[in-house]
Amino acid sequence: MSILEFEGVRKTYRVGDQEINALDGIDLCVEEGEFLAIIGPSGSGKSTLMHLLGCLDTPTEGRMAVCGKDLSRASADELARMRNREVGFVFQSFNLMPRLDVVSNIELPLIYSGVPARERRERAIEAARHVGLGDRLANRPTQLSGGQCQRVAIARALVNKPRIVFGDEPTGNLDSATGRNILKLFKELHASGKTIILVTHDPVIASQARRVIELRDGRIAREERS
Amino acid sequence: MSFLVALQIGLGEIFAHKFRSFLSMLGVVLGVSSLIATMALTRGIEEGTRFFMQQVGGLEFVSIVPNEPSREMFEFANLSSGLTLRDAHSLRGSATLVSHISPEITLSMSVSCGDSGNAERRKARGILPDHFVIGMHGLAAGRWLVDLDVERGTRSAVIGHTVAVQLWPGTPAVDIVGRTILLDQTPFEVVGVLPLYEREEDARMRQLGKTPRPRRWDPFRQKNEAVLIPFSTMFHEFRSGAFPEDSMDSLKLDALSVRVGDLNHFRSALGQIRSVLDLSHRGVDDYDLETREDWFDRVEASVRAARLSGGLISAISLIVGGIGIMNIMLASISERIREFGIRLAVGARPRDIFWQILVESMLISFLGGLLGIVASLGLIEVLKMISPTENVPVLTADGIIFSVAFAIMAGLLSGLYPATKAAQLDPIKALRYD
Repeated sequence: MSILEFEGVRKTYRVGDQEINALDGIDLCVEEGEFLAIIGPSGSGKSTLMHLLGCLDTPTEGRMAVCGKDLSRASADELARMRNREVGFVFQSFNLMPRLDVVSNIELPLIYSGVPARERRERAIEAARHVGLGDRLANRPTQLSGGQCQRVAIARALVNKPRIVFGDEPTGNLDSATGRNILKLFKELHASGKTIILVTHDPVIASQARRVIELRDGRIAREERS
Repeated sequence: MSFLVALQIGLGEIFAHKFRSFLSMLGVVLGVSSLIATMALTRGIEEGTRFFMQQVGGLEFVSIVPNEPSREMFEFANLSSGLTLRDAHSLRGSATLVSHISPEITLSMSVSCGDSGNAERRKARGILPDHFVIGMHGLAAGRWLVDLDVERGTRSAVIGHTVAVQLWPGTPAVDIVGRTILLDQTPFEVVGVLPLYEREEDARMRQLGKTPRPRRWDPFRQKNEAVLIPFSTMFHEFRSGAFPEDSMDSLKLDALSVRVGDLNHFRSALGQIRSVLDLSHRGVDDYDLETREDWFDRVEASVRAARLSGGLISAISLIVGGIGIMNIMLASISERIREFGIRLAVGARPRDIFWQILVESMLISFLGGLLGIVASLGLIEVLKMISPTENVPVLTADGIIFSVAFAIMAGLLSGLYPATKAAQLDPIKALRYD
């Protein structure tokens, strides 16, 4: 069974009197364990697609199912639950809480799944070790380098053991050497069986994926498998 | 998200912005402290009033006084023998709800002691021993008038504090007992001295070493200036000569004081007194019942009014404090939109955000309430020093609990709108927000 299923998905935004079709009929199936890259110029709708895939939004039209669950008309609470349990998100700008230390940042998703405090901490430390931050547990994001911040974000995305991990330009704010390291981390995750979906406009990153989808004007213009 | 976690996040937020949090608390601090102080103040007045009421004889006290009969009954006035000792007897026999009865005859006499010549005219009263309970008297020294005094018509007198001080300045009450007092040149033995009855305020001023200023109307004056002698002595020594044909029983009384045994049956007791007296007076309404109900009702109404107005003002300041919290919470959530975006992205439900804000604003008001309790202690001390009221403020637990509960309510209400606003955030827009 596909882990992500999109059938004729449209997303329309109203800006004043104008209707903008950010997504204009997307049909897409992603199997569990795939490594997918979504590319396209800005304004092609890849961010919108990312938001739908990441359960941050619902489509205006069409059917969308994540992990076998139909979310076409899902409520805010259902989406929140999916984001919490099934989906991990890594952002270009890290999106860490500046006042919280590494462990508290990583355990954030567990707070919303009702995990008791002690177990939260244990699992957060474990996730931090997993991304190589075992010696930075008490630091705040401002005391970390960009690469370390992104590792914290990845640990946070992983801490609740999701089946899918999304990266929205995860290397966009990093220098190339650090970016390669982060990319390596994503490949390791893929090797351990996670479904990885990256949104990028960097052809080097896209070339690492087994499957590349190019969006143009809200439609899938090209698909490549290697 | 559990309440404990919300509490933790809220505390973290409050301590991260200490000054801002303190500013938002300030309104609640002032509101709670003034509410507690007001409640303590009115409670003090209430207790002072209750004490005062007890000192003047309490609600149970009813005075039966002679009165002009109404115009319809005027022609039949002769049928009644007026208020006499017989009424006291019949009340004692028939009015079961009345526990104590004391007839009174008042006579203005010159009062002096043998040693110094200066005599003063005072009202002496002939009474029965029941008067001790009816008037809620105490004794500074000596004994009260007893049945034997009445039976034998002894020349014994109990005098009030003012009288004692005027006759023997500086002499302790114990030494006054046993001395001789002249009532219209008739020697009496002082067997008892009453304590000084005074208002709480005056007592406080005396403790501070000041002289209480004289009052235009002193409710304790009658008790402090009392000269009390046995009823029979009063009759035999001073009244029998005027109308030799009178017997003691038919002597017209100046008043008949009674005490109602149980306040719960106050109305029925008054009815009993009326029916007994109507019978013995043959229907002539030449008497009147004076109770303290109206007076006490007025006092209680004014205490209630004071409590209400003080409470209202404090409640308004608490509401203003709540608005302050709302203001700052609104500013704070628009500053933290990105934080909520992150929380939503990792799986917070809108209601988790809602609770987080609500708990935070309740926490601010609760902490403000705690500070308010501390502030109220100081405020009460200040009030005690400068207070124009007669009574010491009384701090009560329910006053504190009520005020803090009210503050938390204000925090809850003022948190609702910001919390709703924060919960309506769109995660995508919130994440993009800078």
